[in-house]
Amino acid sequence: MDPIYLDHAATTPLREEVLAAMQPWQSDAFGNASSLHRWGRAAHAALEGARAEVAAALGARPAEIFFVRGGTESDNLALIGSTRAKAASGRPVLVISSVEHSAVRDAAAHLSAVGAADVRVAEVSADGALDLEALAAMIEGREATVSVMWVNNETGLTLPVAAVAHLARAHGATFHTDAAQAVGKVPVDLRDVPADLLTATGHKINGPKGTGVLFVREGTHVPPLLFGGGQERGLRPGTEDVSGAVGFATALGLAVREREANAARLTRLRDVLEAALVARVPGLRVNCAGGPRSPHVTSVGIPDTDGAALLMALDLEGVAASGGSACHSGAARTSHVITALYGADDATATVRFSLGLGTTEADVLRAAETTGVVVERMRATP
Amino acid sequence: MSRVLVAMSGGVDSSVAAALLAEAGHEVVGVTMKTFCYSETPGHGKTCCGLDGITDARRVADALGIAHYVFDVEEDFTRDVIDDFVDEYARGRTPNPCVRCNSNTKFRDLLVRGRALGCDRIATGHYVRVAHAPEGSTLMRGLDPSKDQSYFLWGLPADLLPRLLFPVGELTKAEVRTRARELALVTADKPESQEICFVPSGDYRDLLRRRLETVHPALEPGHLVLADGTVVGEHEGFAGFTVGQRKRIGGGFAEPMFVLEIRPDGREVVIGPREQLFRDRVVIEELNWLGPAPGPGRKVRAQLRYRAPAAVGEVRLLASGRSDGPDRLEVVLDEPQAAITPGQSAVLFDGDVVLGGGRIASAGLSASTR
Repeated sequence: MDPIYLDHAATTPLREEVLAAMQPWQSDAFGNASSLHRWGRAAHAALEGARAEVAAALGARPAEIFFVRGGTESDNLALIGSTRAKAASGRPVLVISSVEHSAVRDAAAHLSAVGAADVRVAEVSADGALDLEALAAMIEGREATVSVMWVNNETGLTLPVAAVAHLARAHGATFHTDAAQAVGKVPVDLRDVPADLLTATGHKINGPKGTGVLFVREGTHVPPLLFGGGQERGLRPGTEDVSGAVGFATALGLAVREREANAARLTRLRDVLEAALVARVPGLRVNCAGGPRSPHVTSVGIPDTDGAALLMALDLEGVAASGGSACHSGAARTSHVITALYGADDATATVRFSLGLGTTEADVLRAAETTGVVVERMRATP
Repeated sequence: MSRVLVAMSGGVDSSVAAALLAEAGHEVVGVTMKTFCYSETPGHGKTCCGLDGITDARRVADALGIAHYVFDVEEDFTRDVIDDFVDEYARGRTPNPCVRCNSNTKFRDLLVRGRALGCDRIATGHYVRVAHAPEGSTLMRGLDPSKDQSYFLWGLPADLLPRLLFPVGELTKAEVRTRARELALVTADKPESQEICFVPSGDYRDLLRRRLETVHPALEPGHLVLADGTVVGEHEGFAGFTVGQRKRIGGGFAEPMFVLEIRPDGREVVIGPREQLFRDRVVIEELNWLGPAPGPGRKVRAQLRYRAPAAVGEVRLLASGRSDGPDRLEVVLDEPQAAITPGQSAVLFDGDVVLGGGRIASAGLSASTR
């Protein structure tokens, strides 16, 4: 049997339309978008066309879209930039949620370690609630940046970004949201949500790896991390990756246009998967089941089970999923997100199945059955 | 064919072991164990957990077309191996961490996790041979005496032995290298690893300083004494010494002097001339048998350190309250041996067959031999 891929939250296959759109910019139309000659002008036109497409898809203006080389870069630019922009009047506050991606967490840790920011953590509960009063107290009377992700990558939990954005706005704080897992899954419209900074990345939406954007709302200032030729209005210098920008824009356009139909499809598949898992594996818990979730992620907790061994066993049986977070050596560790939501419990295995392009009902049923078989085998071991 | 888990350290032996099993048609799953997080070791910056070993193993696995995973055994390893290592030095003994790992951590962990992955057998690149028969399994020295690693495996739980495979034990060292080159494995010419896996710098005293209290007797200065107690010099901490050692004793003696004994209570290191190193009685504890235990009066060959020839001796049992056999025994050697070291392993053989062994508790000299 062919192996099945259920790790779309980690990365996604490149869509044919995206590859086709990128092709010319990797072959004959190779010009540098800053050159004055015809090669350059053609590249420049493509770049600006991509920018306009991204802006339209997100409900932003083209001048607010900056092409960067991925989500991590976008998160870092946002947090470090916003913090440095507020440094004039003393050490500013940086509030991040308790369930952020490591790019946000580690950028915040760096800012704290070098004394550039007063970092605070806003706790999120397993049903997606965030204490807004506590958050207000953290930023009251201080120069502040707040970063709360739109959809949590490990659990699919959707966070109350609109409410946080309004609260930040009311307190004069800058609000950043990592929308990497939200774009194309839930409605993301910057006309409805007053975020000042937003991160999106291509390889989570069937676009190319190494691409992404940082949205910077007009009126918000973010200094650069890199220095060079002045491209992207100086915010991200370096010869532009035109094929990447075109690929990202194409992927984003498709994702947003197809979002509603796709969300319905994925929701149904996710429900089938979860019902089958609960029926097949005694003691299994669906994480964040009671909270608002994006349609593409199912995170489960299986008690008294070695999570690392479970994932390896699933792989050997042809089911690709993930769990916890990996350290550089490849050994798995318990995720800080699950620990934040459910408390530390190394005896419970966390497995994340995430659905996407090409996922079928047969796939999810096979995943549930295989999980059941493997867990039985592990529990039977003396 | 069955699914076999192969422990791959990133070295040439385990690389070839994996290759041989894959060639024989088994479904091979390669695994590297992460025993220790080096990122906490000063001076190692971001180099992690023997990452070189993990990446080398992964490259070999990719070349062989087999799956490869990393098992995090840091918690078990720290408790079973590193803590024991520190305790032994603190007690004035010389530990053998590779033996501890094999006896307590490695094979058991591999088997449990291996079963979770649907593997019913475990293979490693150890240089030993095993024969499986319905009546039971037998562990023997590897074919090439210069590479034999049976000394490290006396502590294998006997119930695991039927599940183990050691593909390279039938080959000579040269044959293994040749095989590796034929397969164009990246590890074909990799030099042998000499250091303890959790002491990358080679200086174990640094580890002891970090793990023991700031002021611990094992790391404090003390006296160098002769066997009769005469103080003849100073040392900087008895943890830096092992029986038979010559260095760090200093000069000024009429003849070459060696460490005879460590007395932790008085922080004394006893030194003496070479002839005083010889002992003919070895008390062995924490016994493990891979087959029926040898009875009293049985003649065995006792190997008392790695790469040393085994010495013939006779087994004497020591009284104990246990119903399942003695927990200590004594071997009376036909010929006294030099530098028998408490904490090291004593492995008992019948020809090339490993009977089992234990940890050396003490060494003595028969009255008649003095």
